[in-house]
Amino acid sequence: MGSTDGIQADIASEIEVDAFRRLFPLRFYERHLSESVRPDARPLNKARDTSVALGAISSADGSALVKIGHTTMLAAIKVEVMTPSLDSPDEGCIVGFDVFSSGMINLKELSLISGKAAWMLYLDVYCLDADGALFDAALLAAVAALSHLRIPVVSVNDDGRVVAMSGEHVEGKSVREPINREKRKLTFSCIPFSLTCILHQKYILADPTAEEELIMETLVTVVLDLSGRLVSLYKLGGNLAYNSTVQDCVALTRRRVKELHQILNEAVSDMEVD
Amino acid sequence: MSSKSSSTTTMITTYSPSPTVKNRQPIIKDVDWARPDKRGFHQCRPAYLNTGTVNAASGSAYVEFGSTKVIVSVFGPRESKKASMYSDIGRLNCNVSYTTFATNFRGQGTENKEISSMLHKALEGAIILESFPKTTVDVLLWCWNPVAVSFLLCDLPVVISCASLALADAGIMMYDLVTSVSVSCLGSNLIIDPITEEETYQDGSLMITFMPSRHEVTQLTLTGEWSTPRIHEAMQLCMDACCKLGEIMRSCLKDAAASSES
Repeated sequence: MGSTDGIQADIASEIEVDAFRRLFPLRFYERHLSESVRPDARPLNKARDTSVALGAISSADGSALVKIGHTTMLAAIKVEVMTPSLDSPDEGCIVGFDVFSSGMINLKELSLISGKAAWMLYLDVYCLDADGALFDAALLAAVAALSHLRIPVVSVNDDGRVVAMSGEHVEGKSVREPINREKRKLTFSCIPFSLTCILHQKYILADPTAEEELIMETLVTVVLDLSGRLVSLYKLGGNLAYNSTVQDCVALTRRRVKELHQILNEAVSDMEVD
Repeated sequence: MSSKSSSTTTMITTYSPSPTVKNRQPIIKDVDWARPDKRGFHQCRPAYLNTGTVNAASGSAYVEFGSTKVIVSVFGPRESKKASMYSDIGRLNCNVSYTTFATNFRGQGTENKEISSMLHKALEGAIILESFPKTTVDVLLWCWNPVAVSFLLCDLPVVISCASLALADAGIMMYDLVTSVSVSCLGSNLIIDPITEEETYQDGSLMITFMPSRHEVTQLTLTGEWSTPRIHEAMQLCMDACCKLGEIMRSCLKDAAASSES
C-alpha cells in the first residue's frame, strides 16, 4: 500500500510542477537558473545535440538536413545558368541568404564564360520543426548544403546554350568539350557559424528552445567565422546588455564554432567514404 | 523562418542546364514488360512511416513511398479565424505545398490548391467534426518527389494516407483511418501504385480513398479509358491494398504509442 501511495504522491507533485510551469513560467525558469541548470537538464552554456545529414534530397544539386535538438531545417540548392550583369561579367550569384555577402564564396568561381554565362545558386531553407534557435539551424543548414554542392559538368551546345553533360546524354556524333573540367566543389574563404543566446538578468542561456525564447525576450545572435572574426551580431531590442555580457556571448560562440565545424567535417567525410 | 527567395530574384533570366530528355522510349514495348523500378504489377512501392516527427505540432507524420517524401504537421483543434462564422462543428483546413526542389526544374514551391481541396474532401468524411465545435484543425503538408517533372496528382494517395496518420497521431477523433491507393491501366495491364513515369503513359487511372475497418469509400476518382469489368477489378485491387496499408499504419501508431509509454 505504501508504495502505491508513494506513486500517487509522485504523480500529484508532477502535475503540480507542470501546472507551476504553465502558470508561472518565468518563476519556474528562475528557480532552475539559480541552480545553474535548465528544465531539459542542460547546463546554461551548453547547446543541444546537433546533427548534420548531407544529400538528403536527390533532386537538388546540394542539400542538407540539420537538427539542433528538435529544431529541424532542410536546405537545398539548385543551380541554374544566367547571363551575368554588365557590371560584373565574371561573377555568378547566390539567391537566398544575406550572410554570404561577407565574401564567404568567391563569386568569380561561379563564372562559366565571362560576360556570357555564370551560375546562379538558388538556396532554399525550409523549417520542418521549430523549437528555438532557428537562425542558427538555418545558417548551419545553408553552409552544409553549400559544402555538399557539386556543380554539374556542362558544355555549350550548337545553339550556344549551356547544357549538362552526364554519361548517358553524350551522343556519338558531336562530343563536346566540357567548359568546366570536373564536378566542382566550391571553395570557402571563410565559413560562418552562429550561436543564439538568451540574456536574462545575470544569466546567459546558450541555444534556447522555443519555450525559453517565448519567456525570456532578450536574444543575441553572434555569427563568427572559423578564425573567430565577427561576421554579424544581432540584438534586437530587449533588455540592456553590458559590454562584458556581449563579450561572454562571443566567447561562447567561439567555442560553439569549433563544435559545429567538427560536426560539419564529420558529415562531409562520412559522405566521401560512401 | 523559411526564406523564400523567388521574390528577390531580379530581372535576370536563368535556365536549368539539365537537358530535356527527348525521344524517350515508351515503357511498354509488348505484353511482357518490366516496371521501371522492377516491381511486380500488383506490388506497391516500399513504404516507410513514422509519427511524431515534428515536435512543435500536435500531431505529425513522415512518410516515404519510394522516392516520394511527405511530411505532415497537424495543429489544433485551435481557435478558428475571427472572420469565420460560428459553426457547431469543427473545421478542417488542409494545405499542401511543394518544395522548390520538388521537381527536376526549380519550381515555384507554392501551395497546390487542387491537391489541397482533394485532400480536404478525402479526409472530411472520416473526421468526427462534431467533436471539436467552433475550432479548426490545420493540416500542413510538405511534399517532394525528385522524379516528377510537373505537379501531377500521382502522389495524392501518399499525401492522403500520410495526413490521416498525422491526424491520428494528433488524437483527432476519426471514424477510421483513411488509406488511399491508386491503380493505372496500361494497355491490358493494371498496375498498382504507379510512379510518375508510368502515369505519363497510362490509359486510365483510378484512385480510391478508403476506410478499411468500416469498408467505406470517402473518395473515388476515375479518369481515362475504362471498361466496367476493369473498373471492378481495379476497385477490388485498390481496396485490398488499402486494407493492407491500413494495417501497416495501425501498427505504426501502436508502436509509437507503446514506445512513448515505456
